[in-house]
Amino acid sequence: MTKPSIADLLDGVATSLRESVLPEIPAGPTRRQIQAAISIIRRASLVWDKTGPYLYADNKDIEETLQQACSMLERAESTSSDAELKPLRQRLHAALDRRCDPDVAYPSPAALGARNVELQALLVELQQALHGPSSSESSGRLVSAEWTEIAAMLRGLFRRMLQRELQVSTPPSARK
Amino acid sequence: MSASPAAAVEDLVIRLTNFLAANLEGASGIRIDNVAPITAGNARQAWEFDVRWLDGGKERKVSCVMLRKAQAGQLETDLAPEFRIVSALWNSGVPVARALWMDGEGRWLERPSFIVEKVAGATDFLALLKPEAAAERSRALAEQLALVAARLHTVDWKKLAVDFLPATTPETAAAQQISYWEALFLKHRMEPHPIMVAAFIWLKEHRPIARRISIVHGDFRFGNFLYEGDRINAMLDWEMVHLGDPAEDIAWAYRSLWGPQAFLSLDKFVKRYTELSGITVDPETLLFYRLLGEVKHSIISLTGARSFMDGRTRNLFLADRASTTASYLMQFLDWLPE
Repeated sequence: MTKPSIADLLDGVATSLRESVLPEIPAGPTRRQIQAAISIIRRASLVWDKTGPYLYADNKDIEETLQQACSMLERAESTSSDAELKPLRQRLHAALDRRCDPDVAYPSPAALGARNVELQALLVELQQALHGPSSSESSGRLVSAEWTEIAAMLRGLFRRMLQRELQVSTPPSARK
Repeated sequence: MSASPAAAVEDLVIRLTNFLAANLEGASGIRIDNVAPITAGNARQAWEFDVRWLDGGKERKVSCVMLRKAQAGQLETDLAPEFRIVSALWNSGVPVARALWMDGEGRWLERPSFIVEKVAGATDFLALLKPEAAAERSRALAEQLALVAARLHTVDWKKLAVDFLPATTPETAAAQQISYWEALFLKHRMEPHPIMVAAFIWLKEHRPIARRISIVHGDFRFGNFLYEGDRINAMLDWEMVHLGDPAEDIAWAYRSLWGPQAFLSLDKFVKRYTELSGITVDPETLLFYRLLGEVKHSIISLTGARSFMDGRTRNLFLADRASTTASYLMQFLDWLPE
């Protein structure tokens, strides 16, 4: 069954609430709650089918960025005396190797979401390792070119992540 | 199941009568009329009412607003500092409502609540910020806001009884705000949020030293004052009040969501504020607090969404709040120096 789609259903519910229910409700807190519900349903109708592609693209971008960060960390390891770089890189590698099941052609949004949370946690770990209290003490820590490069790369990634998120979180009419 | 509106009013009248009987010494014949709920944001529930009583045979009447702590919301702050700061600022030159009574524990009024004298005016800031708004009035109110900021930030708080506000110093003011908001973020986040983590790292590495310590309203903006025509009658919503860097209030007032920049540029606002207060505003400090403001609002949104997800509130306005954080964090990145 393709019709009515989830979007059609949600859109219809929002329209019915707006046109049939709302006019019957006097101004006040209840009316404002129904208006809020209509906005949420409307947004859900616009983005329900975009969640999977959004998460897929986000995960791919984060994985690629973390792969590049791993290479930079590896490069830094050869010139740095910091013993913490190697375990960090190994943790990143291990997590990146645990991709979504390759036998599943179309991972579910739930699986993509779980992977997204895992990747987000790696980004947090990477940043905390690079900025942690020990970083200023470690000789040769990534104060060098590698760190500048990773920082710039992360900033670019964060901007792309937000741009993608805005596509699914902001109604088209509200986008700049 | 919640009580019907009529039953809720009836219950409130009984509670208010008992509360005021215990707090109005020598009063008799207490009567509560015209009770009605009013809009007061997501952190507080508000009711207006009139109270009449006999005081030594003479009839007294006060129109009041009662602010009650919401069951759960975006920010779950204590009511007491809000009541006490409004009390302390009465007659200071900062426009505030007259604080009357507080039931800090909710012993009488079901939940922690306080009562202030009703002040005339509207709060609707959307009407002021629309392109078709009366530009002169909006500009005049923005200039009034600069005056209110100047007055608030030059209050000699050491002479007021504000020891309920956590102490701070020019060196620690920014760090205390970062710690406060980061703790809320860590408590309420529903996913790791690497971008927010990055934002906190940047803020910690760039915290400014305050040029002075003032009373900071904390939610100083269009929408949080009562106005009539082009006059501000009272600043509202003091739940985020603290001692800190006055630049924080200016930065918050000019967030794109509610700032009056279409009528009075930030530069002109700062110039006017400096003329009135003698306080100079360091541009880098202002930028720091503008960046903190985007993070702050993101966390307020996350907190609201978390309250809804945990079932601690059924307020649908909070349900989808987390979706607003992407635009705030994008603003953060846009403003971030290279």
